[in-house]
Amino acid sequence: MIKEIILPDLGEGIDGAEVSEVTVSVGDSVGPNDTLLVLESDKASMEIPSEMNGNITEILVSEGDELKPGHLLMKIEVSRDETEPASPIEEQAPQEAPSVANITTPQETQIEKLDSRKTLDDSPITSNVFASPGVRRLARELNINLEIMNGTGQKGRITKDDLNGYIKLQMAMSSGNVSAPKQEVDFSQWGEIEILKLTRIKRITGERLQRAWHTIPHVTQFDEADITDLNNYRKSLNNESSDKNIKITFLPFLMKAVTIVLKEMPEFNSSLDHTDQNLILKNYYHIGIAVDTPSGLTVPVVRNVDQKSIMDLSSELADLSSRARDKKLKPDEMKGGTFTLSSLGGIGGTGFSPIVNPPEVAIMGISRSKLKQVFDKSSSDFKTCFMMPFSLSYDHRVIDGAAAATFTSRFAKVLADLSHYKD
Amino acid sequence: MTGTKHAEIVVIGAGPGGYAAAFRASDLGKQVLLIDKDPTLGGVCLNRGCIPSKALLHISKVMDETKSLAKMGVTYGEPKIDLEAIRAHKDKIVSQLSGGITQMAKVRNVETIQGSATFKSNSELNIETENGHVSVSFDKCIIATGSTAAMIPGVPADHPSVLTSRTALDLVDIPERLLVIGGGIIGLELGQVYAALGSQVSVVEFLPNLLPGTDPDLVKPLQRKLKKQFESILLSSKVTSVEPNDDGTLTVTIENDKGTTTKVYNKVLVAVGRKPNSNLLNLDSTDIEMDERGFINVDVYRRTSVKNIFAIGDIAGNPMLAHKATHEGKVAAEVASGHSAAFDVRAIPSVVFTDPEVAWAGLTEIEAKENGISYEKGEFPWAASGKAIAMGANQGKTKILFDPESKQVLGVGIVGPGAGDMISEGMLAIEMGADADDIGLTVHPHPTLGETFAAAAEAFSGTITDLYIPKNKGH
Repeated sequence: MIKEIILPDLGEGIDGAEVSEVTVSVGDSVGPNDTLLVLESDKASMEIPSEMNGNITEILVSEGDELKPGHLLMKIEVSRDETEPASPIEEQAPQEAPSVANITTPQETQIEKLDSRKTLDDSPITSNVFASPGVRRLARELNINLEIMNGTGQKGRITKDDLNGYIKLQMAMSSGNVSAPKQEVDFSQWGEIEILKLTRIKRITGERLQRAWHTIPHVTQFDEADITDLNNYRKSLNNESSDKNIKITFLPFLMKAVTIVLKEMPEFNSSLDHTDQNLILKNYYHIGIAVDTPSGLTVPVVRNVDQKSIMDLSSELADLSSRARDKKLKPDEMKGGTFTLSSLGGIGGTGFSPIVNPPEVAIMGISRSKLKQVFDKSSSDFKTCFMMPFSLSYDHRVIDGAAAATFTSRFAKVLADLSHYKD
Repeated sequence: MTGTKHAEIVVIGAGPGGYAAAFRASDLGKQVLLIDKDPTLGGVCLNRGCIPSKALLHISKVMDETKSLAKMGVTYGEPKIDLEAIRAHKDKIVSQLSGGITQMAKVRNVETIQGSATFKSNSELNIETENGHVSVSFDKCIIATGSTAAMIPGVPADHPSVLTSRTALDLVDIPERLLVIGGGIIGLELGQVYAALGSQVSVVEFLPNLLPGTDPDLVKPLQRKLKKQFESILLSSKVTSVEPNDDGTLTVTIENDKGTTTKVYNKVLVAVGRKPNSNLLNLDSTDIEMDERGFINVDVYRRTSVKNIFAIGDIAGNPMLAHKATHEGKVAAEVASGHSAAFDVRAIPSVVFTDPEVAWAGLTEIEAKENGISYEKGEFPWAASGKAIAMGANQGKTKILFDPESKQVLGVGIVGPGAGDMISEGMLAIEMGADADDIGLTVHPHPTLGETFAAAAEAFSGTITDLYIPKNKGH
């Protein structure tokens, strides 16, 4: 009977390895534990032993090949009584059907599962490896296959140090994301302290911001817009408005203007796909508005801004922000944004660099508007203008600096042009 | 005491495997219930096997040694045997050890119940106690109910003159003529006890050798001694009938290639092996699978086909030895408690506690020849050991079988006084993968029998100075 020899799992953290030596040829008779191949991964060299008795009929790899676990290595003609290797390793885990009376907390269940996995995935019988009973037991506990280990002890004996070294190597190879635990500092030694638990929103946004800051190469472009006419127009709208309950702020105008520029420059209204290889352009304009609430920052999303009037947007914003403060937003109302606006204009500041809200690629920050003396070329004189400072942080993988500068100056122009709001 | 109970781990049988399993599981934090049908813990080994037989073998060995002192210039008068005192001595040893186990169960909070357990399902037992039924549900169960002496057809098993290892150890009397059926470990040990106490002992063995399966060179010194102690040793012979007579004696017919003989014996000891006690557990109510000989099938974790039920010791297969059961008991307890463990041993030693003792571990020469395993051998005859000669043990021998390539120890065989203690060094060598140099270069104390182990390795390496071996290897 011909059986296939497949490259086994090489252990955690080793995705693939290169064939450095094929130690058998077609026609060779091999027995269990005879070395078939020597593999070289970035950090370790390992021998791949045969698990069966038989004759090699075909070799499907050669030196230099890059292999991954599951790769078909060779074919072997096995003797009849060897067709069912009585390997207890391959046995199934004991199925512990949880009865109703046995329901445990998720944590306990986790531990129980881990235990049975540990007991069953290990290699219980170590047939011919050169290792003492104590080392064999430790290997079982650590789930290390001794058959692929090279012992460094006398005459090639596998020692406990070898197992420790193996674990360290595995840790080093998979440690990309492992950060050292933070040191606990006792601040009370320098004075009185108070401990405040972070709100859930703070903890979640904290993680998101941390990840965004780590993964997105941020650049921030600063600019300002002359909103003198816009301000007057806004005031007149508020005076004319029949519904005194709705106060028109700058925000609907900013949203309208940004949507117009997003239509002109679609890469600002996009996302990178999960492979980071493709840009997904969106033909809808859902603008997220950063709202500061007592329990933390939330970003409700206003949909299809391009299709809505200033009055529509004003009433929608009033509704969203009041519900955001009352924690009554639905999860869906905070999803699907294509661009985010963060306005600190009501509070103060001359400029700030917001963090991009992934998977979006850009965010605009608004600071406090001021009356300023601005030199007017046409009249060759200074005139007093109401100037709004703003910034644009963007994902530099998607947007380059020239595009960002074009975006901000275009935005300043569009925002000031009242024709966009009168339809 | 009728009622219901629940235990995280139930162990059935408090022999050397069962109590080890119970105590280990308890030490690992489990709530353990230990059930045994006997009022005393320790099982066959402690109550009716290894321990009482060793108490008696010690007596017979010392009696024999006093005789051998005649050659060294010391003579004693004929020994007087007080059978009742011997029984009391043996019982005291047993109760001392059994009491120790009871005490250890107590301090560990292992609850014990005396009763016969039978399965009701894959997760429930019924225990029949003196005071009624107890129903026990369990998370995990470890079966350790051992084995019972086997009988051969045609023998009136219930006749008071027909002994098993169990009744033979009761030492009711010293029969004038005793026939031992079976030349294995138990037959020879008890035969020697009765011979020392004054019986005329005959042994009949169906196979052509005593201790079948043991290397003949290890059996030979024992056989030589037994020939002097026993009335007769009949090999390749078969008992065809055992007929009770009115006076309590038994007429036994034995057949071999020389013909049929009929003789009368006061007692007959049947020692033809043991059978697993799997028929007493109502295993039909579970999904536990057995083989055709009644052994429960287990995996390397000692789990049965029902994964929350384990089986260890004699009931889980050969060799039926207490030290195998103990090791398995610990493995099962650890796996049942969620730890990584497996029955992963290189060898299990065997010891015949006769005088001289015979012990072996790992590969034997018989096995090697049967399976075409190549080996090389280092031997040291005790006739070259000062200590052995001083003790009058120059018939002994130590041999080590080595892997021809790695020179690692594959097997060890020893015959002579103390062989059973000396085999431990051989076991350590096998488990540690020691080779001939490792053993030969380890300083052994002189003069001891233990140094014959190093000498056998040196004889193999060619570095020995206590023997002259014509040069064909070595440095």
